Amino acid sequence: MSIQNSPSETAVFIAEGMTKTFPGVTALEDVRLSLSKGSIHALLGENGAGKSTLIKAITGVHRLDSGRMMLNGQLFEPSDTRDAISRGIGVVHQERNLIPRFSIGENIFLESLNAHPLRRIDYNQLFRDARVWLEMLGVDADPAMPVHRLSVAKTQLVEIAKALSLNSRILLLDEPTAALTPHETDTLFKILRQLRDDGVSLMFVSHKLEEVQEICDRVTVLRDGKNACESQPLEGLDRQAIVRLMIGRNEQIPDWSARDRSTGKALLQLKNVSTSLGHKEIDLSVHKGEIVGLYGLVGAGRSELAKSILGKFQVTGGEVLVNGSRAEIHSVADAVRQYRIGYVSEDRKSEGLVLMHSVLENVGMPIWRRLAGLVHFLTNSKIRKHTQPYIRKLEVRTPSLDQHVGNLSGGNQQKVSVAKWLAAEVQILIIDEPSVGIDIKTKAYLHELIRELSDNGTALLLITSDMPEMITLADHIVVMNDYRIMGEIDNTRDYDTMSERIMTLIQGEEFVAAE
Amino acid sequence: MSRRFWETDWFGPLMVIVVAVAVVSALNPSFLSPFNIQVLLLAIAVNAMIAFSQMIIIAIGQMNLSVGAIGGLSAIAFAGMMEVWGIPWPIAAILALALGVLAGVANGVLVALTGISAFVITLASLSVYKGVNLGITEAQPFYKIPDVVKGLGNDTFLHPLPWLIIPCVLAALLLWYLLNRLPLGRSILAVGGNEHAAELSGISVRRVVIVAHAISGLLAASAGIMLVGRLQLGQPTIGDDWLILSFAAPVIGGAILSGGHVSVAGTLLGVAIVAIFTQVLVLFNIDPFLVQVVLGVLILWAVGVNRFREVRALKHSAQVAS
Repeated sequence: MSIQNSPSETAVFIAEGMTKTFPGVTALEDVRLSLSKGSIHALLGENGAGKSTLIKAITGVHRLDSGRMMLNGQLFEPSDTRDAISRGIGVVHQERNLIPRFSIGENIFLESLNAHPLRRIDYNQLFRDARVWLEMLGVDADPAMPVHRLSVAKTQLVEIAKALSLNSRILLLDEPTAALTPHETDTLFKILRQLRDDGVSLMFVSHKLEEVQEICDRVTVLRDGKNACESQPLEGLDRQAIVRLMIGRNEQIPDWSARDRSTGKALLQLKNVSTSLGHKEIDLSVHKGEIVGLYGLVGAGRSELAKSILGKFQVTGGEVLVNGSRAEIHSVADAVRQYRIGYVSEDRKSEGLVLMHSVLENVGMPIWRRLAGLVHFLTNSKIRKHTQPYIRKLEVRTPSLDQHVGNLSGGNQQKVSVAKWLAAEVQILIIDEPSVGIDIKTKAYLHELIRELSDNGTALLLITSDMPEMITLADHIVVMNDYRIMGEIDNTRDYDTMSERIMTLIQGEEFVAAE
Repeated sequence: MSRRFWETDWFGPLMVIVVAVAVVSALNPSFLSPFNIQVLLLAIAVNAMIAFSQMIIIAIGQMNLSVGAIGGLSAIAFAGMMEVWGIPWPIAAILALALGVLAGVANGVLVALTGISAFVITLASLSVYKGVNLGITEAQPFYKIPDVVKGLGNDTFLHPLPWLIIPCVLAALLLWYLLNRLPLGRSILAVGGNEHAAELSGISVRRVVIVAHAISGLLAASAGIMLVGRLQLGQPTIGDDWLILSFAAPVIGGAILSGGHVSVAGTLLGVAIVAIFTQVLVLFNIDPFLVQVVLGVLILWAVGVNRFREVRALKHSAQVAS
């Protein structure tokens, strides 16, 4: 199973000096990478380390600012995705990339169908072909079914089938297992090994190090858009060493002491709550000054739970208590005004901020009504007076308060979305994936800020898929899977034991569910 | 694999038609007279083209406000070429259709290359095309329409089936084939369903947008030409009142305005519903201006039904996930 040849001899794909900047962020800086024939290459790094950008550069979505890529010894400069596909590069993207109302079969073969725009589609043949791929991946579904009716896991498997069906010589998989059960993951791995033995070069992105160690033979780690290591054999690297490469020194987990804040007053309590989205038997409490972490895989129902608490989706059973008394939250406006609950969305670009509006307008939005008073007259200076302290406190780097939020860097945008709720003086703040797309320095700063908020008495519910972040911040961790709570643990702040215990909690249930 | 028939887009509108026809013909048997059916089919034939012209743009998740202006421009070009230059009618028709395609391509290219929303682009081109129309005609109709064209616009080839129903049926069949069997048509729906995913699957979004607008222009021009025959004159005002209908019929037929889903059969039935309701108001001597009100109510009803289905589907998928 080990690689006999050195990578340079069998390298199918080589990239050097890859650099890509976006306004305000350097996503890739002088990155090197080489993929060899018949190997599975791990691409690791934290959120925002540049993995997705790297994949998008290889697949022709982004153009590199500088650097070059070689494919089979020839210069490779894909002009668009079609070009990359035709050169034999297949990819399973992280985002959902299926056409919702199209059938499974058609989604799988969309690329090849498109090659002949005026040739009649033979659906019977198409569905027959699709069934082969579905059976191979162990998906029990009718190829004629539209994909929007599928569960998250099956959708993911369809995307994998789609990439496999291209028979690519290079296959990039961006977190393909994020929504899969262990059983489905095993099936996938069997196929990936088969492909590897057939000489395909695979690149595998995952946050689950156990998987990486199980299936990959080489590893490239990105940190902050740069190589922390390049195409290194995985043999001999233990988990600890990989983590060190990913997070770099131990600056990531600050030396904060473990706290127990559960003795404070419970500001938010959920008792046996169920929702219209399918949450069941949710028990949860967040005390004054406490940070409760909600951990789970993609699709576990965490953001959905947050939005249900906020009144965006219906709570169908059990009770929600705010400040000890029963709360009837029917709309987000209720949550904000009456119960002083704020929500920092994971999708700040489409849910958290109005990008084309100024910093001032964004931060002032939740308090317009309060400030407007009887005659509903608002002045900028009044809003400024109430928001500026918070903007200053968070050190939002902006030329002026009139700057459009869309022009700020990701980290500063995130600070604006937090400042917004500080200005609204919320007592409960739900923060969903606070550090997506933020560089490490800003992230550390944001962490201090969140900690400080809790020290000042705000009750925080933190949702993050970033394990180090969870262990850095949370006082108490609640693990969710499949719209249910699997268990809770007090955070001892010891990374290894904590991550182990969290993963056991998630997986424990899955084994039961699989039976 | 197939959905149950009452869940299809055409089932609801079809029921409305069946009930409406049953009730109306019971109250007034002349509704089913051959002459009345001929009039009904004439209206449906032209309006279906107008509706299809918008439907193909709805499929890619955009809007085309200039369908009427393109139709009007093609109509007066058709009539004008015959009257002023004496061009034989089939050639004039082909040239007028080409003009419609050109106008559509112009829309498509501007939308695809600038990234400005189709709403704004077609709002501007609506004004341009209409302006050209009025500049050429000085708001005066062309009267010299060959008798053949007048005949094709009004007569039947098989009582009570009018000639105009032929291009309409042809367009419906071709569109159905395009949207359901050809990769090009599937790309149109894919772009409307998830533009980002379509692009990552190697579909050229720009090309698809331009092609859709070209088809839209072609269909709008067809409607304009057909109307010249039916009205027996090249009216500069042709197309002025198409906009509401062009959206109403596809939406009644189950189209989703954000794109990715349209139904040819549903749209055709939507057109039929509007035609029947209009006819009924005339038949019972009700103020024809009420048509506008009825049309508005129909749109709300259709959108309401779609929304209801959507919410139910959302709940269903949440339950699957849990």
